[in-house]
Amino acid sequence: MMRSLFLFDMTFWLYLAALVLYIAYLFARRPSMALAPAGHPTDNFDERDGAWATQLGQVATLVTVFGWMLNTGALFTRAFERMEHSGTFAPWSNQFEAMAYVSWAIILGYVVLELRYKIKAIGAFVVGIGFIAMGAASLLPYRYQTAEPLVPALNSYWIYIHVSVTLTSYAAFAMAGGLGMMYLFKERAEQRGSTSRFYAAFPDLETIDELGYKAITVGFPMLAFGIILGAMWANYAWGGYWSWDPKETWSLIVWLIYGAYIHARMTRGWEGHKAAIYAVFGFLMVIFCFWGVNFLLSGLHAYA
Amino acid sequence: MNGQPDALPEEPAARPSTPRLGWEEFSRELVEFFASIKLAIFLFLFLAITATVGTVIQQNERPEVYTQEYSENVYRWFLRLGFTDVYHAWWFTSLLGLLCVNSLTCFYKRFPAVWRSMQQDKVGVTLAFIKNSRQQAEIPIANTKESVAQSLLQYFVSKGYRVLAKNEPGEVTVYATKGVMGRVGAHMAHLSATVIVFGGLLGTYYGFQEFGVCLEGQTYHIPRGNFDLKVDKFWIDYHENGSVKSYNSTLTVLDGGQPTVTKTISVNDPLVYKGIWFYQSSYGDSWDQIEVARVNIKDKQSDKILTTVDLEWQKEQTLPDLKLKLAITDFVADFAFNSTEKKVFSKTVEHANPAVKLTLHEGDAVQATPWIFHQFPDLFEIKDSKYQFELVGYKPKKFTGLQIAKNPGINMVWTGCTMIVVGITLSSFIYHRRLWAKIIPTQNGGVTVHIGGTTHKSQIDFQKEFRKLTEKIQTFQA
Ligand code: HEM
Repeated sequence: MMRSLFLFDMTFWLYLAALVLYIAYLFARRPSMALAPAGHPTDNFDERDGAWATQLGQVATLVTVFGWMLNTGALFTRAFERMEHSGTFAPWSNQFEAMAYVSWAIILGYVVLELRYKIKAIGAFVVGIGFIAMGAASLLPYRYQTAEPLVPALNSYWIYIHVSVTLTSYAAFAMAGGLGMMYLFKERAEQRGSTSRFYAAFPDLETIDELGYKAITVGFPMLAFGIILGAMWANYAWGGYWSWDPKETWSLIVWLIYGAYIHARMTRGWEGHKAAIYAVFGFLMVIFCFWGVNFLLSGLHAYA
Repeated sequence: MNGQPDALPEEPAARPSTPRLGWEEFSRELVEFFASIKLAIFLFLFLAITATVGTVIQQNERPEVYTQEYSENVYRWFLRLGFTDVYHAWWFTSLLGLLCVNSLTCFYKRFPAVWRSMQQDKVGVTLAFIKNSRQQAEIPIANTKESVAQSLLQYFVSKGYRVLAKNEPGEVTVYATKGVMGRVGAHMAHLSATVIVFGGLLGTYYGFQEFGVCLEGQTYHIPRGNFDLKVDKFWIDYHENGSVKSYNSTLTVLDGGQPTVTKTISVNDPLVYKGIWFYQSSYGDSWDQIEVARVNIKDKQSDKILTTVDLEWQKEQTLPDLKLKLAITDFVADFAFNSTEKKVFSKTVEHANPAVKLTLHEGDAVQATPWIFHQFPDLFEIKDSKYQFELVGYKPKKFTGLQIAKNPGINMVWTGCTMIVVGITLSSFIYHRRLWAKIIPTQNGGVTVHIGGTTHKSQIDFQKEFRKLTEKIQTFQA
């Protein structure tokens, strides 16, 4: 077995642990809001409870960061293994590696978000998606997981940049999808007047909405750039920059879907609930583009 | 988020009092329609939905393929709707055209406002306007109005804002703005759509794409470039596990009979000459030439193998012991005979029924040119000959598949692509903010700073920035 596979496995378990910790953190947190109905600050707020939750949150972050470092290590190890066997360095040269890379990017995005906005509750959703991506990768049959040499068309320096940029945009859309789900959960809880402390730790709806929008505005230009890099590559390899092959077309479809969203945001009523549903829908389309196309439709990219 | 991206309130256009539909009215409605975001959203989504069709239904197949997989009737509908070639159907290209019109009209209608706000902006606003802003604050400060204004200006400038101020007897108004490039970027993206589509059209109408099957050592004329191309060499590199690593052809351009450029091309590394690109696109076994054939020579009577020879393509070989002279003079990969023309040819390019033509001289008496078959060793027998020949194996010559293309629109496409990426990136990461502050002296000798601001997006970042700003203002005490 290759050394990188062991590291990818370890990453998977760490992400699982991080996810469990983030969920535990949500349950453990007992902010004043949860105990006090509207506007009555709690004087007898149990401090120990808060401290316990804070510690859980810190551990969750640490485990996530550690998992991410292992993920980085695994990708580097895989890159060197690739160098030995297949003449390329890019550790995103097949479906398995691509998924491991996507979860790396999702977790990186999440850690940046947490550091910047100091909101831990998002971890339960976004780290969850990173974990699922990693888990789905490790469920792939073994022959998909090894570092087989690339077919000549793929063996080029274009693969470094085209694939990584596209996959990073997928990660941004995954983040937006996670935030969208979170929005919908929280909104439902609010409508039902739930006082569960689980939801109380969530940031307010407007913040979730804005962050989701931000994630999409990061993903949108990246996907455009990724698609264009693909077109340039195709122009070098096949003598045509656009051939409407299913993968190409689907990435364009995904881009158009988010293009509609970006514009819809500027008209009234396209925030909050609708935007959250749309972000989840968009993410499902990304999943289809990333997975479905490779396994269900045939085309030039299908040899990946 | 505000409904109109252009945050400044606009004067409602004066409507002509006549109810009849004049040209003015009509053209304004037209611009309104084509510049609407609703139409843009509709186009984006409709293009997205229709683009899926071509990924589900096979494109540009032969009719049989469709009638087999679907039915006659369905196929007829496919033809009617253009589903067998969606991306070139008239309605699909019209949608793309409409998208261009849409984004151009949008540019026409909205860019002037952006341009104006780059040049100069509205400083004077009412106090009520400030108080109605999305982010607003009122901060009392014990200092003079000039001094507070000075500090505020300095702070804005240090944060990269462009500042305008108006000092009036009763109050100072400060206007600060930043990030208008974000909106310029959006409009750059809008123009790019048309640039890309035009580049694409140029390529379609003035470019070409051909596929050439070429053999080592041959020279081919390229009529569109009026020069010749010689294939010097073709070879394949393998990985250690035996899979193909790359395939390569060394090509020489002969212009006016003179060799001008020589380059080894491989997948992902084409040769460009006079705007024509030569791509290494595929390779395969030639169907009418081989490099070498291995032939068993048997004694007809005893059926014993006398010897095995490797015959090179079209090179005569002498076997003095057997009094034989042999040569392979022809090859077909899939033997077929045209009885009217009395000609042998290859039915397909597959090596389904390979055969070589042997030209032999036996002693002084026998001369013959039999076809011998790989799969049917006993098919023919050569009269008067002592020998029987068997084709044991052969090594086909490889052909190199070259994609030959010229696309005069390509640079325009890349220009448009650059515009779209730069444009969207600018508009994603830079957001336009505008802040207004009124510094109004109070009775007790201090001032009140009324400050308000808007942004068309990134509310939380703006909120954070605004909070910092108010905290800063509180430190402007004397
Ligand atoms: C053809 C592809 C198009 C692309 C790539 C594109 C891209 C963009 C982007 C990235 C923005 C900035 C969004 C933001 O600030 O969050 C934007 C803004 C906008 N788009 Fe488009 N757009 C396209 C077509 C259109 C069309 C057809 C319309 C027609 C109405 C339109 C109307 C607008 C408007 C009104 C804005 C706001 C501009 C501003 O901030 O001043 N877009 N577009």
